[in-house]
Amino acid sequence: MAKMGMVFDLKACIGCNACVVACKQENSLPDGVFFTRTLSHEHGTYPNVKRVYIPTICNQCEDAPCEKVCPSGATYTRADGIVMVDKDKCIGCSSCAVACPYDMRTMLDKELFTKGLFGTGELTPFEQQGYGRYSPGTAVKCDFCSERVDAGLQPACVATCPTNARIFGDIDDPNSAPSVLIRERNGRQPLPEKNTRPKVWYVD
Amino acid sequence: MTQTNPRLVGNSFKLGYRFQRYWDTSMALAFFFAEAGAGLFLVSFHFDFLPGMIAGLAVAGTLKPYFHLAHMGVPNKSWRAILRPDRSWVSRGAIAIGVMVGFGVLYVVDLGFGLASRLGLPAGAGELAGWLAVAGALTVMCYQGMAMSDSESFTLWASTLLPASSFLYALTAGSLIALAAGWEILGERRAALADLALLLLLLDFVVVAGILVRAARKSKGGAFSVELLTRGEYAGTFIGLVFVVGLALPAAILFASATQAAALAATATMLAGFLAFRLLLFKAAVFEPIMHDLAGSLGLPSAR
Repeated sequence: MAKMGMVFDLKACIGCNACVVACKQENSLPDGVFFTRTLSHEHGTYPNVKRVYIPTICNQCEDAPCEKVCPSGATYTRADGIVMVDKDKCIGCSSCAVACPYDMRTMLDKELFTKGLFGTGELTPFEQQGYGRYSPGTAVKCDFCSERVDAGLQPACVATCPTNARIFGDIDDPNSAPSVLIRERNGRQPLPEKNTRPKVWYVD
Repeated sequence: MTQTNPRLVGNSFKLGYRFQRYWDTSMALAFFFAEAGAGLFLVSFHFDFLPGMIAGLAVAGTLKPYFHLAHMGVPNKSWRAILRPDRSWVSRGAIAIGVMVGFGVLYVVDLGFGLASRLGLPAGAGELAGWLAVAGALTVMCYQGMAMSDSESFTLWASTLLPASSFLYALTAGSLIALAAGWEILGERRAALADLALLLLLLDFVVVAGILVRAARKSKGGAFSVELLTRGEYAGTFIGLVFVVGLALPAAILFASATQAAALAATATMLAGFLAFRLLLFKAAVFEPIMHDLAGSLGLPSAR
């Protein structure tokens, strides 16, 4: 069975945040909720200043601490390695959010679903069509756009990236694009000392 | 709190430390009442102090669930919290609370009204219920620390000393509340209980100091949390409330005076420090910068 993973090419990322917008659109994410972010960091002193962009996403860990601590069995790992949350089983205890060393879980505040984007208490048509997939008060996270993956498509962030900074595929297949990148460009995982065995890798 | 530390990036798109913001005051209160209630039940059980046992069960059986449910996003599904005791400390704790309160109530009813004999049960049935309640109480006194130390996210929490601190603080709170509330009933046993409380206050200090030292040495994120607690945003509250008001003051009061008023004062100050400890452990925990090593490889100074 395939193990789906993602590689971020830090040299290719230009920090345009198209991935973030695509993710929000694909998943109808409420205001202030992000499944992926492009973190930025400036360093150096004028005139030698540099800004670096570092995309982040749920790392779909092999030893997912969020799954281990979940008391209700809402968090589970699919056969293809994607870590999922069953909204009907989630009790909103936040244990998973606390256990994720990457801060990649979000608790859906109930207010988000009533106040609307403009805070008027009225939901926009975009919110009305998209919020049905969520259960207020529960935990949510990136699932590599599992519905798209099931349909043979790439995750929205990957499909949108204009510089191919996000490469998605089966990391168990040594000939897949992400596996080749990891091997040839010395791919590394985020916070390896946490022993979560992420399926997201970075190359630079 | 106004975020003044430039290394804290809040919920922004910057690389840096992020506060733990998922477990809040409600959870701290739930932890506090569970541990204080379980500690009071355990100490009262040992000293055959029935009102203490009832109060301990009442606190752990009402205030703990109330604040835990207040925190929960979907409280009407809270029963699901018991489904994974094989892997989750939250599940184990929820079951332990049920065991402690359920068997504890049976035990005190048996003590008061001879429930076992009225129902025609064997003589040891009431006693067995009591010991099962004690087992539940011991688990409740530790599980919250276990749940926190189980998480590798926060260096401040990821220590075997966390369950020890939970257990010791619970026992200290239980000893002092039993001492203050049962001053008349306890009689000659007061001195033993006061000595136990003094010893526990000393152990609390050692364990809290140990948590700080260990966190500061383990990682830069841990050192940053310790800095927040000892020199940064929370230093005044942490040192003032946790160490001075919560540990030194009750010890001094107990040492100086052996009256019920002194015991009450020592209990109140210790509980204030205990609650502050619970709150500040949540507030000072920080997520490490997710990409610190990679940032270094890009020619950046390490974000840590």
